[in-house]
Amino acid sequence: MKNRIKITRIMLNMNQKELAKQVGVTRQTIGLIEKGEYNPTLKLCMAIAKALDKTLDELFWEVDDE
Amino acid sequence: MKTWISFLLPDDEYKEKKLLHFYAEGAILLIIFLLTTIIGANFFSFDYQFTTIIAIWLFGIYVFIRYSLAGIEFTDIDTKQAYKKQLKVLTIKSIGFSIIFLVLYCFIIQFPTKLSDLYSILGLTLLASILLFTIEFISLTASYRKNKKLTD
Repeated sequence: MKNRIKITRIMLNMNQKELAKQVGVTRQTIGLIEKGEYNPTLKLCMAIAKALDKTLDELFWEVDDE
Repeated sequence: MKTWISFLLPDDEYKEKKLLHFYAEGAILLIIFLLTTIIGANFFSFDYQFTTIIAIWLFGIYVFIRYSLAGIEFTDIDTKQAYKKQLKVLTIKSIGFSIIFLVLYCFIIQFPTKLSDLYSILGLTLLASILLFTIEFISLTASYRKNKKLTD
């Protein structure tokens, strides 16, 4: 699943370890989500959105470029 | 989701999901093995105790190997430095295991009275330590390779 977690995290000057700690998962899990290799549960999506101060739409909703 | 198996699962949801897959795969293999044994029992005679031990080992070893090869054990090892440091920890752990294994074996199972017994115990200890180190080393290397690709 494509997402904008990495770009948002970098804009907030946060590293993977810090985000992982805030949402209660491992750094590996954050890396996998950012690469689109693991689809997180809704609970984790919400935790990440809260930690990055964004909405679920802003992080996970795909918009087709016309 | 809370189940009675929760105590066997890690807190991280990715690891939890992976581990559940490994348990499920192991369980399917176990069922296939047991069904084969039941059918085979019509044609051959099996030692039930031995068959049960094989079945338990099959499940345990399968889950353990899948877990080690998946690279999900050492989730924070993503630099060469951290890898080398963890390798030292594993070496110390293996040496510690050898000493504890040797002491427990001598006092609980059999204290060597002959030189041949001592050689046997030392050989067994060495084999167990090498096996432990090899499995941990494979797991560490798999984790390092996986994490390296995922780090920013």
